[in-house]
Amino acid sequence: MSIILFGAYSAALLAIGAVGFTMQFGVTNVLNLAYGGILTTSIFVEYYVTGHSTNLWLAMLVGAAAGAVVSFIVGFVIVGAFLRRGAGGFSIAMVTIGLGLMIQFTLEAIQGPFIYAYTSSNTTTAISISGVRLSSEQITAIGVAVAVMVVIHIVLRMTKLGLWMRATADDASLTRSCGVSPARTRAFAWLVSGAMCGICGVFLGIGVGTFSSTTGGDFFITAAAAAVIGGVGKPYGAMIGALMVGIVSQGSAAIISPAYAAISAWVILVAVLMLRPQGIFSEFASERELVA
Amino acid sequence: MSAATVYYLSGLAILFGINLIAIWGLDLHFGLAGINSFAFIIFQAIGAYVTAVLSLAAPQAGSFESYILGTSWPWPVALLCGALAGAVLAVPVGLIAVRRLRGDYQAMAMLVLALIANSLIGAETGWFNGPSGVEGIPAPFGNLNVSLYSYHWVFLALTAVCCLVAWWIARGISRAPLGRALRAVRDSDSAVAALGRDPNTLRMTALLAGGFLGGLSGGLLVEYVSAWSPASWLYGETFLFFTAVIVGGRGNLAGAALGTLIVPIGIVEVTRQLPQFGYPGEFDSFQWIAIGALLLAFLWFRPNGLIPERRRIFRPPSERPGGLLASRPRIRRAQSP
Repeated sequence: MSIILFGAYSAALLAIGAVGFTMQFGVTNVLNLAYGGILTTSIFVEYYVTGHSTNLWLAMLVGAAAGAVVSFIVGFVIVGAFLRRGAGGFSIAMVTIGLGLMIQFTLEAIQGPFIYAYTSSNTTTAISISGVRLSSEQITAIGVAVAVMVVIHIVLRMTKLGLWMRATADDASLTRSCGVSPARTRAFAWLVSGAMCGICGVFLGIGVGTFSSTTGGDFFITAAAAAVIGGVGKPYGAMIGALMVGIVSQGSAAIISPAYAAISAWVILVAVLMLRPQGIFSEFASERELVA
Repeated sequence: MSAATVYYLSGLAILFGINLIAIWGLDLHFGLAGINSFAFIIFQAIGAYVTAVLSLAAPQAGSFESYILGTSWPWPVALLCGALAGAVLAVPVGLIAVRRLRGDYQAMAMLVLALIANSLIGAETGWFNGPSGVEGIPAPFGNLNVSLYSYHWVFLALTAVCCLVAWWIARGISRAPLGRALRAVRDSDSAVAALGRDPNTLRMTALLAGGFLGGLSGGLLVEYVSAWSPASWLYGETFLFFTAVIVGGRGNLAGAALGTLIVPIGIVEVTRQLPQFGYPGEFDSFQWIAIGALLLAFLWFRPNGLIPERRRIFRPPSERPGGLLASRPRIRRAQSP
């Protein structure tokens, strides 16, 4: 039971991060390896702006804004410039890794290699579900993740922008010939992805309690595992992928040792890449894309 | 020059040689065969670990160290086994990440393999002593009764010999028909397949050879610095090697050598002479930022590096100058960015 509940909690965090990552990848076709750096930046910005208040909603707002701004600069401005210059896939991957490392070490240069801790968690009230204690922040994280997924669903299904994003992910040139501005769609994808990254970062910082300049990088690969399992570019697949990764990593942490929480998720990622690079749920996800 | 300066410069030359072997290995993967080898550091790591545990002797009773093997083989054998371990490791890495995956997916799989290897070796304390790593690896020619200063020259000679071996392997592959086939795989693997060569076999060959060089470099490094732990081979080190290849110019040995001189030696080692500031490690952060900026600048202004790969022109024997059809248009291979 504790594995399922804690699995659901880590799946909630992963889902926010993984859906943000996979949506942007689907729309812009850029493997954003700087995502972890964006995640860490939004944790630090949020910590400095609101770190000493207990208002979770304000924290989320600040984190989302920080993530969106950094993601826009990294993705739309810098990577976009390299793309216009005709850089190939490998160069773009190098650009995003380079930017990710530059972000990480800029934070480290400012902050030092120290571990930061939230001090505002003294108000935590624990809630007991069949013997397993979850903090109110953890419950909120699950609730927010569900809400974010619902919002993403509504945006993707019921707004013009969502339609454009899905269309661009499917066939960018056809979408452009239908009169949709690809630049605007891409800009929106980077902003939404960054905002989700920021929200994810806030809960990650509060949930783990401590963070340093490398926090985002480690978490990002696990979120990427969830995204790849669900099929890259498929938000709905990423949600299911997050649930799987969350439960498996919590299970292996409980059964083998805590060090294996991340390792098992990464092993799943490699296995999926090897056996089914299109993702486990790809038919399922793409069918839903077609029906809507 | 004072003795201290000479000592420092010979140390730099040793590090240059060790890095050069690894970067030539990476150039075989990435420059020649077009493999996005973001896991390259694990080849160096396994070479270092294997060389270490084969020459360290078994952990003493009552010590907190634990590692596998623990023989005290002579260092040349241990070094050779380290290099071979790099080549052997190329087989699983190739099966996982090279046979079916391309582009972004390959890059991601490689990156994650490097992370898994690093965390696994940190978590499993019985293999290579976990996060604290192995230390006290005996130095080659350790029983020579010479001063610390003279010993540097001995080790430099050993490094030079290893570099020569690496050069012989890398140049041999690059100039052989195999090298031509590998460049073809990099530029268009479907064309290679259409001509009846198996691109995956070719890629695996490059991966094995590069893994051997990575292992050799790791073994030599651990014999020089005498300690090795998971913190010595985070995936950022691979990024450092890639930056060297891109700055110098991919696909040619001189370019890789120039990149080694500029990035791991020029930016990382030489700048340590500058006055340090801030907390311990703050300086390193600025080094990393500088490396990232250099990489972005090169990808923007000079994506083919300082020494671009030579443009190769293929002429069948009948079209060689003076041949019957000398005036025909030549078949050119497009320069890959």
